[in-house]
Amino acid sequence: MNVTTLRTKAESQIREQFDAASASLPGTGWVSALRARAMDTFAAEGLPSRRVEEWKYTDLRDRLREVPAPAAASPGSVTVADIDAALGPVGAIDAERIVLVDGVYRADLSKVTAEATVIELMSLAAMLTKAPAWLEGKFASDGGPVVSLNTAFMSDGVMLKVRKGQDPGRPVLLVHARTSAEPSAIAVRNVISVEVGGKLTLVEAHVALDGAARGALANVVTDVTLADGAACDHIKCLVDTTSSTHLATWNTKLGKDASYSGFQLTASPALARNDINIMFAGEGSKLDLSGVFLARGSEHIDTTLVVDHAVPHCESRELFKGVLADRAHGIFQGKIIVRPDAQKTDGKQMSQALMLSPDAQFSSKPELEIYADDVVCGHGATCTEIDADLLFYCRSRGIPSDVARAMLTESFIGEAVEKIENEDVREAIGTLAIGWLRDE
Amino acid sequence: MLEIKNLHARIADDGTEILRGIDLVVPRGEVHAIMGPNGSGKSTLAYVLAGRDDYEITEGDILWNGESIIEMEPDERAAKGVFLAFQYPMEIPGVATMTFLRAALNSVRKKRELKELTTPEFLKLVRAKAAELGVSDEMLKRPLNVGFSGGEKKRMEILQMAVLEPTLCVLDETDSGLDIDAIRIVSEGTTKLRGPDRAMLVITHYQRLLNYIVPDKVHVLAKGRIQKTGGKELALELEKSGYADFTGKAA
Repeated sequence: MNVTTLRTKAESQIREQFDAASASLPGTGWVSALRARAMDTFAAEGLPSRRVEEWKYTDLRDRLREVPAPAAASPGSVTVADIDAALGPVGAIDAERIVLVDGVYRADLSKVTAEATVIELMSLAAMLTKAPAWLEGKFASDGGPVVSLNTAFMSDGVMLKVRKGQDPGRPVLLVHARTSAEPSAIAVRNVISVEVGGKLTLVEAHVALDGAARGALANVVTDVTLADGAACDHIKCLVDTTSSTHLATWNTKLGKDASYSGFQLTASPALARNDINIMFAGEGSKLDLSGVFLARGSEHIDTTLVVDHAVPHCESRELFKGVLADRAHGIFQGKIIVRPDAQKTDGKQMSQALMLSPDAQFSSKPELEIYADDVVCGHGATCTEIDADLLFYCRSRGIPSDVARAMLTESFIGEAVEKIENEDVREAIGTLAIGWLRDE
Repeated sequence: MLEIKNLHARIADDGTEILRGIDLVVPRGEVHAIMGPNGSGKSTLAYVLAGRDDYEITEGDILWNGESIIEMEPDERAAKGVFLAFQYPMEIPGVATMTFLRAALNSVRKKRELKELTTPEFLKLVRAKAAELGVSDEMLKRPLNVGFSGGEKKRMEILQMAVLEPTLCVLDETDSGLDIDAIRIVSEGTTKLRGPDRAMLVITHYQRLLNYIVPDKVHVLAKGRIQKTGGKELALELEKSGYADFTGKAA
């Protein structure tokens, strides 16, 4: 019997784009086969709809009516000054800098001064072209539809490694810049690893340069592997007012006694879906995830976490805060799995939304799946307006209502921003967020 | 001069009448104490003076320097010199104490048509006043009142008062929850602010605060009205006899 899958226009476009582009995407041999398999995996299910539990609040099939064509190679006229202008306060952070423009690594705009004995940096496209056999194992086959699409279309990205026991001493800023004047789609894959005892602060900044088209689509997958005793602070920021769609996936695996602090600032995309998948693979590790999502108009920001405690004696913390104005919709889904062996797990999760309008919407879905019996796990969610008592307190000190409201909104997100350890990064992210809030 | 005339106020939500005709005059340069049992309307009076919109004024008026303030927003009242030290100061996570103080001071200075202070001027001012009140630099850097002890929060209220230089200070149960050392520090800070241009209303349940902040007059508030007015010795009498005489009276 033949099964006919009903395709949406977007799904047909994706298939056509793949057929047209696959020959020119980097890599042959097993890489081409990997791409083709990923495309087939994606095509079997298509874009996820609300009938798929994980996509309940973000019906991608319904929302993604058309898919822009893959970005063409950038004309090369981008300057460091253009990038700095788009980065704003983040550009001022003293950091190693790696730049991707329209999904392609740009050595000319990047500046990494750390020794090769500390950091190893390669372009993913170059590696896919070489296609060493060990690389194939880096690409999971079961990452879901968005990751499958990414695998099929990935044009470039970085492979970044911090060597054993090394610490670059300053953050690594990974810039994803978009310049294309035509709506375009990019698919970028980053493979980050921190070897035994190494340390890394990675800041991923997603920016649209002046003149970039509205309605772009970005699909960025970042795989992070922390070896035993490794520590990584991973910060992502997206402030985009060009009506773009942002699909971002973090897949992080923690070894023994590792520590991972993730933070995401997501402001004003038309649609964002942030998937964060954490796997505890070694005992004694710590996870601290936090984030701020800011939306107005009809913007839609979905943060979906899966934290998998597969081993005992690990600790996880999640704190996500949203500010929602107008008819914006914020979503937080947080699943914590505690496997039967994962005794002494300590997990706490909190999501909070501040509603600036009666028409804004916040959907929160915490899920605890606990199969071990000696664990401490908790979750909470709140949805509030600006606290009238606090507002009165500020005003009784002479602070006018609008200033007090702005201050309390900043205070609300401040608790999450404060989680960022690096002071320069924390201040830059805080400035970006406050800039968004004051634009009200 | 503060003049409260036949003030009636009720809870906006459910209409419960709390203040039932308060008449009170506090001239500039004087400190008056309001004492009363729990539920007498002391905190309501403090909130109504500061302009909290949980209460509705149904009758009467409040004049500060001859001008009615009951239609004014809380921040306008603050600019006119009204300051309420809260019984339970609020915690504002994510806002550094210095940032808050600066926003408050600049707001009132702007409305008082004074120029904003420069950063060095502001820091110098706050550090000097903070030192007098035993508020450390560390506390000033922390988010406002977050993780502060009861005593630290009350000292922070007095510090705000000292920085904003109000002319009408209302202290709502500033002694509640404090040990004797904290009461002494807070009282000394408050007493320093006594002056010919400043009126103070000190609300308390217990007499002990008034050993440190010696009032010119003491008023007994019960059942939403001033029941008795006397000198500072009235506080000592109340300490002995309690409030039974007043709570028994019909309103």
